Parts: sequence; structure tokens; C-alpha cells
Amino acid sequence: MSDGAQKRVEEYLGRLRRRLRGMRGSEADEIVKELRAHILDKASMGGGMTLAAVDATLAALGSPEGLAAEYVTDELFARAEVSRSPLRVLRGVFHWASFSVAGFVVFLATVLGYSLGVIFALGACAKILNPHTAGLWMVKGADDYEFSLHLGFGSVAGPGRELLGWWIVPLGLLLGCGLLVLTTRFAVWCVRKYRTGRALRAGAR
Amino acid sequence: MKPIDRELQDKWEAQLRKGCLELAILATMWKERRYGLEILRQLESDSDLVITEGTIYPLLSRLKSLGLMNSEWVESEGGHPRKYYSLTSEGRKRTREMAESWKRFSSGMGRLLRPLGDAEKGVAR
Repeated sequence: MSDGAQKRVEEYLGRLRRRLRGMRGSEADEIVKELRAHILDKASMGGGMTLAAVDATLAALGSPEGLAAEYVTDELFARAEVSRSPLRVLRGVFHWASFSVAGFVVFLATVLGYSLGVIFALGACAKILNPHTAGLWMVKGADDYEFSLHLGFGSVAGPGRELLGWWIVPLGLLLGCGLLVLTTRFAVWCVRKYRTGRALRAGAR
Repeated sequence: MKPIDRELQDKWEAQLRKGCLELAILATMWKERRYGLEILRQLESDSDLVITEGTIYPLLSRLKSLGLMNSEWVESEGGHPRKYYSLTSEGRKRTREMAESWKRFSSGMGRLLRPLGDAEKGVAR
């Protein structure tokens, strides 16, 4: 291999390795080793390991940043799929959002789903702590009645009545936990679909 | 074919391929262990599945993390080690199940589409 070709390979792999910082060191080293083998095999297929052959091989692989993002996203989601932890799922989708519009949309939907889930669950817990003030209130506003989920801190704004009573505890927990589970499933499903979709391009034949 | 029809046809074909990508990758390792570039080459030569090179490795890594494949480093004649993938017993089981589903589906579609073939023969006559 010429010095120029060697330098090009090392630059590419160096950029890739730097972008794999979020992963365990041994895993990142193994990825770089596997990609090095691919580049050497593919570039030498045409006969000689020329600079042009190396450039063509690297172009077919795509940018090292994009490739590293694939690995890091996969790693984050593999962890999320195993743990089913909302925090891990959120971390993975946040990472996806950093390089894709679709990821950004899924991230917003995930944040919304988790936020609503937490609010419902908090409403249920608050009723136990503040039974007289916490709950779903129908409060008289300036012109009309409006609904207000009150967690029990401070007094309710204006005259009104509480609608659900103790039913808010099971309902809030059910809705809150249900939303957390559904949002997690939705986010994991979106990422699986995205990852499979990116893998293919139109057939050559 | 009009450009819009071509686009719709391409999208439909891409969806079709996406559905069987996992099975195709697993199937390349049914007889023997293989490394990434070999898998790419076999998919290209034996099927219509053309995968962008940079995405095969994260995919292999994912299938490995799901417990469907093992990997090992083997020295090559080229002087550098290659990472070979092989199916685990779980991977073989999953491949067999997916292949059976594929055959059932394909045979059902074949029956459904038979009248189209008959009609084409009629037109040719």
C-alpha cells in the first residue's frame, strides 16, 4: 500500500474511533479492526492497493461520522431494548434526533408521551399525599368552567369541585404506567424500523 | 412506465426487500461461517438484496447482540485478521422458522397470482 493510501485509511479509522467514544473501549477497538479488514480486502480486490481503490472503498462505506452514529445508536438501543428503561430509550432517541429529522420527531413524541405518563402518575401519588386538594378539578374561570389537574401544592385557583375523588389513584397509575410502556414500545419500534430501512438501497438488478 | 409509477414500484420493491433482509443475512451463514464482505458479495450475487456497505457491519453487530450469531477472529492469507460470523443454535432455530414462514407465504402468493400467469399465456396465444 502506498503511503498516501495508508494515510487515508488511518485518517478514516481515526475519525471513526473518535466518534465511538460513547462505547466500551474493547468494542470500539474491535469495530475499527473489522472495518480495517474490510477496507484492506475490498481495496485490494481490483489488483493493487492504490489510492484510488482506497478512496472508492471509503466512499462506499460512507462518512466515518455516519458509520459511528450507526454503531452508537445501535449500542444505545440494544441496551434500551434489553433494559426497557425509559431513560435509556430517551437517551437513544435523543442521539438519533441529533442527526435525523425523523429522529427529532420521534424524540418530541417520546418526550410528550413520557411527560404525560409522569404527570398522570404524579397526579395519582399526589392524591395520597394531599387528599383534600389534589385531583382533577373543574374550576370556574372568568367566562367558563375549565379542567385543572392539581397536585395539591397550594390552594385550588377559584371555586370548583373535584371530579374523580379516589378514582384518580388507580386511573392515574394505569394511564401513567400505560403511557410509559406504550411510549417505550413506540420509540423502540420506530428505531428498529429506521435501522432496517437505512440498511437497504434499491437493488442493482 | 411513468416516473411516478416507477417511484411507487421502487418503493414497493424496497419494502419487500426490507422484510426479508434479516432472513437473507442469516441464510448466508447457514452452511459455513462468513465475514462481512463475503456476506455482501453473496447477497449481491444470489439475490436482489444490495446493502450499502457501511450498514452491514452495524447490522451484523445487532444480530450478534440478539444472540443469533457468534463471531471469531481468523488470520487471513492477506496477512490481516478477519471477523467471521456463524449462527448460534438460537440463530439456526430462528432462521429455520423464518424460512418456513417465508415458504408458506411465498407458496400462498404463488397460488393467488397463478391466474395472472394464465391470463398472460392467453394473451400470448
